[in-house]
Amino acid sequence: MADKMSIVVSEGTFDKAVMPLILATTAASMGTEVNVFYTFFGTKLLTKGVKPKLPGMMRLFTGMIIGRMKKVGIPGYGEMFKQAVELGVNFYACSTTMGLLGIKESDLVPGVKVLGAAAFLKMAQESNVNLFIG
Amino acid sequence: MHGSVITVEGIVLDKNATLDALGLMCPMPIVQLARKSKEMKSGQILELLCDDVGAKEDIPAWCSRTGHTLISMGEDGKTLKFYIKIK
Repeated sequence: MADKMSIVVSEGTFDKAVMPLILATTAASMGTEVNVFYTFFGTKLLTKGVKPKLPGMMRLFTGMIIGRMKKVGIPGYGEMFKQAVELGVNFYACSTTMGLLGIKESDLVPGVKVLGAAAFLKMAQESNVNLFIG
Repeated sequence: MHGSVITVEGIVLDKNATLDALGLMCPMPIVQLARKSKEMKSGQILELLCDDVGAKEDIPAWCSRTGHTLISMGEDGKTLKFYIKIK
């Protein structure tokens, strides 16, 4: 596995929300420096109190999936996010998207930084693993 | 932490702690293992109990990446037992 990993998240549904967190948390547990960059619809996932839902009609099954995950020890989205932050995962919100979608810095969960494309791309160039989840 | 002496595959180990990760699925055993390893001192032995099928590959991979030593891995029915020496 890599020493440095970057992930771009561009969608805000529950599945797209959980996947980068699981990968980021696991990588961080293995000593990898992880940077996760949220853009477009993914940016909402960094706001306080967000409760992402499964896409389309499957939104009705979100609670069931969360219940099944909790049974095997995988926490809900908010708790998983906190654990990732504790493990040292770096979270970034796309500055431009925040402007487009009217998200203020005060809406963001504590610990999340704001970043632009160039700064993120520099991190990506230094990473062995670059993933796009969206 | 008190050690308790156990013998695994003929090696006498002074086990310092047990992490019970039974019932947890990937990646939670790894996440908890990482947290627990940070609480322990260098040279201590951690016993990890796990029944996640992926753990057979996950735990050795984690040890190889982080520099902790996997002393032994065994199976007791569905329970996987790992003995890890903290670096």
